[in-house]
Amino acid sequence: MIINSKWLKDYTDFQYTPDELGERLTYLGLEADQIANPVKKLNKIVIGLVKGVEDHPDADRLKVCQVFDGNQDRQIICGAPNVQDNIKVPLALPGCELPEGKISEVKLRGLKSEGMIPAEDELGISDDHSGIIILPKDAEVGIDFVQYYEDRFGTSYDIDLTPNRPDCTSHIGVARDITLLTESELNLPEVSFQETGPDINNYTTINIHNPDGCPRYAARIIHNVKIKESPQWLQDRLKSIGLRPINNIVDAANFVLMETGQPLHTFDYDRLKGQEINVRMSEDGEEVVTLDGQKREMDDNILLICDAEEPVAIAGIMGLENSEITDSTTNILLESAYFNPASIRYGSKYLGLQTDASYRFERGIDPENVIYALNRVTELILEIAGGKVCQNLIDNYPKMIVAPEVKVRFERINKIIGEKFDPEWVTKKFKKLGCKILDQSKESITLKSPSWRPDLEREIDYIEEVIRIYGMEKVKSAPKISIQPDYLRNQRYDFNQKVRNKLAAYGYQEVFNNSLFSIEETEYNLFDLEPIKIKNPLSRELAYMRTNLLAGLIDTAANNINRNNKNLRFFEIGYVNDLNFEKDNKADEYQYFSMLLSGNLEPVSWKYNNRRTADIYDLKGDASSLVNYFTEIEPEYAKSNLDTDKYANIIEVILEDDLLGFLCQVKEELLDDKYNIEEQSLFVFEGSLEILYKYFDSETNYTPVSNYPAIERDISILVDTDKLVGSIIEIIENNGGDNLQEVQFYDLYQGKNIEEGKKSLTFNLIFQNPDRTLKDNEIDQQINLIFKNLKKQVNAKLR
Amino acid sequence: MDIFDEVKDSKQKFQEELSELPIDEKAIEDFRIKYLGKKGIIKHYFNQFGKVPNDRKKEFGKLMNSFKQEVTQAVESLEQKLNEKQKKQEFFDYTLPGTRPVEGSIHPLSKTMDDILNIFKDIGFSTELGPEVETDYYNFQALNFPENHPARDTQDTFFVEDDVVLRTHTSPIQVRTMEKQKPPIRILAPGRTFRNEAIDASHYCTFHQIEGLYIDKDVTFSELKTTLYLFVKKYFGEEIDLRFRPSFFPFTEPSAEVDISCFKCGGNGEQCSLCKGSGWLEILGCGMVDPNVLSASDIDPEKYTGYAFGMGIERIAMLKYGIDDIRLLYGSDKRFLKQFKQL
Repeated sequence: MIINSKWLKDYTDFQYTPDELGERLTYLGLEADQIANPVKKLNKIVIGLVKGVEDHPDADRLKVCQVFDGNQDRQIICGAPNVQDNIKVPLALPGCELPEGKISEVKLRGLKSEGMIPAEDELGISDDHSGIIILPKDAEVGIDFVQYYEDRFGTSYDIDLTPNRPDCTSHIGVARDITLLTESELNLPEVSFQETGPDINNYTTINIHNPDGCPRYAARIIHNVKIKESPQWLQDRLKSIGLRPINNIVDAANFVLMETGQPLHTFDYDRLKGQEINVRMSEDGEEVVTLDGQKREMDDNILLICDAEEPVAIAGIMGLENSEITDSTTNILLESAYFNPASIRYGSKYLGLQTDASYRFERGIDPENVIYALNRVTELILEIAGGKVCQNLIDNYPKMIVAPEVKVRFERINKIIGEKFDPEWVTKKFKKLGCKILDQSKESITLKSPSWRPDLEREIDYIEEVIRIYGMEKVKSAPKISIQPDYLRNQRYDFNQKVRNKLAAYGYQEVFNNSLFSIEETEYNLFDLEPIKIKNPLSRELAYMRTNLLAGLIDTAANNINRNNKNLRFFEIGYVNDLNFEKDNKADEYQYFSMLLSGNLEPVSWKYNNRRTADIYDLKGDASSLVNYFTEIEPEYAKSNLDTDKYANIIEVILEDDLLGFLCQVKEELLDDKYNIEEQSLFVFEGSLEILYKYFDSETNYTPVSNYPAIERDISILVDTDKLVGSIIEIIENNGGDNLQEVQFYDLYQGKNIEEGKKSLTFNLIFQNPDRTLKDNEIDQQINLIFKNLKKQVNAKLR
Repeated sequence: MDIFDEVKDSKQKFQEELSELPIDEKAIEDFRIKYLGKKGIIKHYFNQFGKVPNDRKKEFGKLMNSFKQEVTQAVESLEQKLNEKQKKQEFFDYTLPGTRPVEGSIHPLSKTMDDILNIFKDIGFSTELGPEVETDYYNFQALNFPENHPARDTQDTFFVEDDVVLRTHTSPIQVRTMEKQKPPIRILAPGRTFRNEAIDASHYCTFHQIEGLYIDKDVTFSELKTTLYLFVKKYFGEEIDLRFRPSFFPFTEPSAEVDISCFKCGGNGEQCSLCKGSGWLEILGCGMVDPNVLSASDIDPEKYTGYAFGMGIERIAMLKYGIDDIRLLYGSDKRFLKQFKQL
C-alpha cells in the first residue's frame, strides 16, 4: 500500500525528514520503503511560460515557441500536439541530462531550439508520451522544477502491511499511528453539507438477506451530478500514490478510500431496476460480468449486491458492468458497507480477484467509520460534481459489531517483555490508541478496543502494542541467558552430518535437488514407492513429491557433463515420500543417501598418463567402505531381478534382514537418448539412511595387535568363468581356520594361455596368531584344506 | 727448530686445516695444491733432503713418506666425499606439482545449517525433525492461522489433499515437539519447506528453514534479544549490529523482524548492491510464542512463556557467500560446489 507524506500531514503534524519518517514507520511495524522520486536526479529544468506559438515554416508538425525561463525568452521547437500559448511547462535547458540523453542547442529544420519541453516519459515520471507536461497555473515561473515537483507531490512510501493491521490501509490510519510517537493530535476533516434533495426513502430500500455476511449497509443518493475531470488537487493526490485519475465521481470514491480506508461503491442509480437493493448469497452456477469485462461464475457462497432483478455488484470485491457509472450518468447511489472479512476473502479467493476493496474488507475495516466515509465522499462529490443529495441516509445495521473488552495486567506486560513499564505511561498510550478505559486498578486496566483495531482482542495483543509504541530497539537485552544442558541430543541429525563428512572425505560433492519432480521421474525408482501428487503444482514438471534421489542426481550429472565437467562424484542426502495416507493420514517419509560416480578416478597428474576410469566396482568400494565405517556388519550383495529401462547390472546391498540399497549402472541408451551423453558411463547408488542408522554402531571394538609375525601365502586357481568370486572367498574364509586374518583378491585373468571358458583367480592370504609364531606346516595343512574344498565345491584347478 | 720439528709442525697444521676444510670443489683443489703441488709443502720438504744429516736421512725419508701418504689419502677421501655430495645434488625440481587427492565438498546449505546449529548447540538447543508432508492442523491451525484469514496468503501453499500440505515452514515441528515434551523445551528444527512460488533468482519452490523454540518459566522478549545478538555476532561477526522491528506472525506475539547491519557497505552505502542503500538486511522473524499456540498443545500460557524464531537458510547462505541467484544452489555445477569449505 502506498502512502504519501504530504497527504499524511492533512491529518497530523510531524517534523520528520523523508528518511526519518520511513524509519519511524518501520519501527512502528509499518515496514516502509521510500519510493524514489523519479525526477530527483535531474537538474537544469526550470518552470517556463509559453508566450507565443507559431507554425514552423518548414515542418507541418513542429511549432516554434517562445518560452520565458524566468530570465529570458528562449526559442523552443516543439512537436507536441498540446502545446499552446500561455501555459506553464517544465523547460529542460541545454546541459540537462535526461534518461534518454543530454539536451543541447540544436537546429530543427533550420531553426534554433534552445532547450526542450518534455513529456512525462522523457522525465521518467510515467510512460505517457501523448503530450508535453502542462503545469497548473499557480506554478512559479523560473523556479527549479525538481524542487517544485517535490513540494507538490511530497514523498511516497510503499508500506508492506502485515495482515493484522487493517487500520493502516488508509492515510488517516497511518497518521493515527504516527500520533503515538508525537505530541500531536489526529485531525479528522470535518464534514458538512446541505441535504437539498428529496427524501432518499422515496427512491430506494435496502434489504439485507444475509446479516452475517453483511452486518452493515449504508447508502446515499445524489441527483444531477456532472461527470467531468477532477480538480488538480485531487488528481495530484491520486497521482502521488500511483493512481490514475479517471473522473470526478470515481476519483472522489478512490480518494476517500485512501483517506479513510472505507471502500465505497457508486452505482448509476438510473440503471438499477426496481427501487431496492438486496444483499444476498449467490446461487451455485450464477454468472455475472464484472467492471473489467470478465464473465465470472460463482458457487453458492459469494455475497452479492442486487437490484430488484439481478446482481449489480459482487459485494466488497467489484461492481458489475450493468450498473457502472458512465459519462452520461446523472443520478448516483453511493454504497458504504461493512462486509464479513472471511466471507469477502472466500469470494476473492474463489474468483481469483483481489481489489483495493477486497484487500481492506478481508482484513476487517472499521464498522463505525461507514457513515463518516459515506458523508465525506458525499461532501466531496457535491463540491466537485455538483448535484443535490437526498435528505437522510439509509443505515441498515442488523448485526452490531461489538468491540471486545480486555483486561491487561501490568505485571504480565513486564513478564513477557522482560522490562518494567510504568502503568501511567502504558495507560496514556492506550488512550492515544483510541481505547476506552472501562476500569482501572493498581494491578490492571480494562479496555474496550477502538472499532478500527479488530486485532486487539486479547491481553497479549495489548502487550504487543506496548512494545511497539515503546520501541523494540529500546528494550534492553537480558544480561544473562539460561543454558539448559542437553544430554539427549538428537543423534539422528548428527548421524547425517557424519555421513556427509565421510562422503566428502571420499571425494564426493554434496548436491541439493528439488523435492518436486514429474511423474516420468518416478521411473528412476529402485525402491518401490508410490508418488504423492500435488493438487496445485507450479508445472507438470514439478507435480509430484520425489520418490527417489537418482533422477535429480543423474540430471545434475548430465548438466555438468554437458558443461564439460566430466569427472564427477556427487551425493545427496534427502527425503523421499511414499503415498500412504490410509495408515496414519500422513505420508511415509524416508531419508535416502545416494551417490553418483563417473569419469576419471584420479585428477590429472604428470606422474601417470593413463588415469583410471570409474566403473561399478569403484562405486561398490566407496559404498561398502562407507557402510563398514558406520557398522561392523558386512553387507551382502545380491543380483537384483528388477526390470527397468533405466539401469543395468543392479546389485542389492543387504544388511542382515534389511535392504540397504541398490548399486547399478545407468543404461547407456538412456544416457544417449535423453541426456545426449555418449562417451561416459554413470554409476549410481541409492540407499536408505534409516536402515544404515539402524545398524549404526559408534562403539570402537579394540583388539590388541599381534606381535608375532604374519605369514602370507598366495593361491592361484582356475575355475569356470561363471563362478562367483564372492562365493570362492567365502569358501577360503570358511576353511582358513582361526589364524586366517585376511583374504585379498588381487588378480583376475582370462584370455591368452588360459583355457576357453575358464578364468584365473589369485588370492593373497594372511595368517597370524595373537599368541605365538605360526609354523609353516600348520599353514600348509590349512591351505590344503582350502584347495580340497575349492576343488570339491567349485571344481577349481590349482595353477 | 730443526727440520724434523718443522715437518712435525707442518703435519699438525695440516690436520688442523683438514678438520676445518669444507667439502667444496675449490677449497679441496686449493688444499691439494698447497700440499701436493709442484711448489707445495711436501715438495718443499723433499727438496730439503740434502740438508738433512746423513745419519738421519733414512728417518727423514720415512717421516716425509708417511706425511705424503697421509695427505694423499686425505685429499682422495675429500674428493670422494665431494663426488658423493655432487651426486646427491643431482637436479631436483621442487616445483613439480604434488599428487593431490580428489576433494569432496559439503553443500553450502548443509554447511550453513550446521554452522547455525552448532552455535545454538553451545547454549543447549537440541535438534528436532519433522515431516515434509504435513497436515493443515500442524502447518496452520495449531499455529494460530485461522481458516479464511489473510495471514494464509503470506504462505503460498502446495496442497496434497484439502487438509494435507507440503509444509510451508518448519514451525509445525514446534507443535509436534510441544505435544510430546513438556517444558522446558529448547529446540532447533531444521528442514526443507515448500512454497508455491514461481522460480526466479530469489525464489525457489523448495527451500530450507531453521526454527528455534524455547519455552520455560520466565522466558522474556529481552532474553530473545540477547540470544539473537549472540547468534548474529557469532555467525556474521562481532561488528555486526542488529535491529528489531515489529511485525506479524500468527504464532508469535509480540512478533518482530530482525535486520542486521549490511556487512558489505557497513550500513552507509547509498549504492550498495546488497542492502540497496538501506543499510539493513532482513534475516529472520521472531517473537514470543502466542498463548493460543501454547494452549493448543496443552501448555499453560499463564505458567510458561516462550520465544520462537525462524530463518531461511538459502537467504542466510546467499548473504554470507554473496550468491546472487538461488537457482545456483540446486542441481549445481561442480565448480560452484567446490568453493565451499567445511571450516
